[in-house]
Amino acid sequence: MFFDVPWNVVVLQLFFGLALGSIFVLLASGLSIIYGLLDVVNFAHGTFAMLGAYAVFLAVSLSGSFGVGILSAVVIVGLVGGLTEYLLLKPLYGKDPLLPLLLTFGLSIAIPDLIKIIFGLIGKPVNYPQAFSGATILGPLILPNYRLFIIFFTLAIMISLWLFLKKSDLGMILRASTRDSGMVQILGVNVSRIWTIGFAIGIGLAALGGAISAPMMAATPDMGVDMTMVAFVVTVVGGLGSLGGAIVGGLFIGVVVAITSFIAGEYATVSMYFCMAIILLIRPRGLFGEIGRE
Amino acid sequence: MEGRETERKAELEKMLQDTEPKPKTTIVWGTGLVLLVLPFIISAPLATEILIWGIFGLGFNLLLGYTGVLSFGHAAYFGLGAYSCGLALRYWQASIWTGLLLGIVSSMILACFIGALAIRKRGVYFAMISLAFGQMLYFLALSPLKQITRGEDGLTHIPMLQILSISLNRPRPLYYFVMVITVLMLYLTWRILQSPFGKLLQAFRENEERAKACGFNTTRVKFLSLVLSALYGGLAGALNTIYLGYVPLSTLFWLTSGTMVMMTILGGKGTFLGPLIGAGVFLFLQNTISLLTPRWELFVGAIFVFIILLFPAGIMGTLRDKYTSYRMVKLKKQIESSGDSI
Repeated sequence: MFFDVPWNVVVLQLFFGLALGSIFVLLASGLSIIYGLLDVVNFAHGTFAMLGAYAVFLAVSLSGSFGVGILSAVVIVGLVGGLTEYLLLKPLYGKDPLLPLLLTFGLSIAIPDLIKIIFGLIGKPVNYPQAFSGATILGPLILPNYRLFIIFFTLAIMISLWLFLKKSDLGMILRASTRDSGMVQILGVNVSRIWTIGFAIGIGLAALGGAISAPMMAATPDMGVDMTMVAFVVTVVGGLGSLGGAIVGGLFIGVVVAITSFIAGEYATVSMYFCMAIILLIRPRGLFGEIGRE
Repeated sequence: MEGRETERKAELEKMLQDTEPKPKTTIVWGTGLVLLVLPFIISAPLATEILIWGIFGLGFNLLLGYTGVLSFGHAAYFGLGAYSCGLALRYWQASIWTGLLLGIVSSMILACFIGALAIRKRGVYFAMISLAFGQMLYFLALSPLKQITRGEDGLTHIPMLQILSISLNRPRPLYYFVMVITVLMLYLTWRILQSPFGKLLQAFRENEERAKACGFNTTRVKFLSLVLSALYGGLAGALNTIYLGYVPLSTLFWLTSGTMVMMTILGGKGTFLGPLIGAGVFLFLQNTISLLTPRWELFVGAIFVFIILLFPAGIMGTLRDKYTSYRMVKLKKQIESSGDSI
């Protein structure tokens, strides 16, 4: 029965997988940047993505423009993230390394309930932006425009992130602080501020992931933990603290989930955990992980 | 005369270096006595729930508090124990002891599997992986294994149980049944912590590199600690099945692991009674707040954040620190005064 499936259906599933994977890439790259810079595993990562989705909902219903929505999601949630790091995480540095993880876990319990009080229990739908509704027909393939947009948008974000990290002065300082923050401090950079900026960038990426997924699955208060979980799995598969790993791992997991939900729907969510277990067995540090960091 | 004075001074100085209070067996029996009257103070079902989470916490604390390994997927052991026991009771009409035993054994086997895959990892990495495995089990029970686990509805129709022809569906007898097991587990924990193995666990928590340099196999000890901790988790899960008379799917949910983490931190990780106190305070808070508002998670989460920021040692840990510094001051004074008399 397997081989009866027409090739264009298979390609379409791959395409869906890449679109889903693009969202995973945004989530996981944010997590990776934060971990690399601060050694903090951000349990509230998906929670911030959920805030991004709600920010899009709010901005779209106020301004009517999806572009404004995405921009405001990134900026607002990014600022909230920076503030969180400044107020709550800074006092914990240098103590038990598990404390930041526990603190962000507390946030991931409290924040969804706050959202439930403000926006209610039922999710908030976000319309597809006008420009990207409909589909592109490419021979025998019918590709939904919004998913095409997600893929190219993520591509653009990742390229600009790469350029930012490689070419700009701030990017260079960020990379240097990831390597050896003590040395950067000695050279006269205010590392504490760099950490806040890095955390805000990571959270901004998470918010972006939540924001662009909002039209596909609506903004719901409890979507956060699932997104945190996806980001964790992708990071374990790709390798903790590696941006390349986040990209390859994200796309890989996206395709695996899309294909499984096509073949055996009920295994869709389980499949990514199986992937993780197998990767751990054959390559414990993940696809691109550095030795010794795991 | 002078010799005795210096001897006395040396003794006091030795006490000064070693002020951490040691758990004595009286702590086990004393707690047992308190637990004996607990159902007369609060309702028996709530007391039972506290004990079940307390057992779960004793094991979790062994891993987090004494070995320094954070598992964020402990719901897997609790839930697997609950389901194994429930399935055995429901489909095989197994006896209560078989059910409990199956719960324990299956959880320990799972811990062997997860431990073999992930226990070598650094702390935060292990936390992530254990969480992911926990969710894997949750989603497996949710839909692919729906035929057996009944998916979202949870496993129902678990027969009533009896011990010595006393029915366990009344709150008081059930409470005392769970209490006996709790006291046994407390004693077991005490024995583990006093054993060379227990000392080794604490050595790793304090300084893994040094313990490694002393020639101990850190991976094996952490692995054993995880498996032991799963024993408690499985037992607690199985008791939960007997207590509720059914197995809710939420036993496998990540929030179960999260609740365990919060309880242990609240009570004080690395303290003997911390998990039990933490379970008690947490469930009491949860029950009280959820009477006032359905959004109890907001308050519990916020309280947890404050505890992490202000009292990371938890209730018992903070008390212990206070007691230690009190004794330090007292001993210092004694030494000073004995120094004067010479």
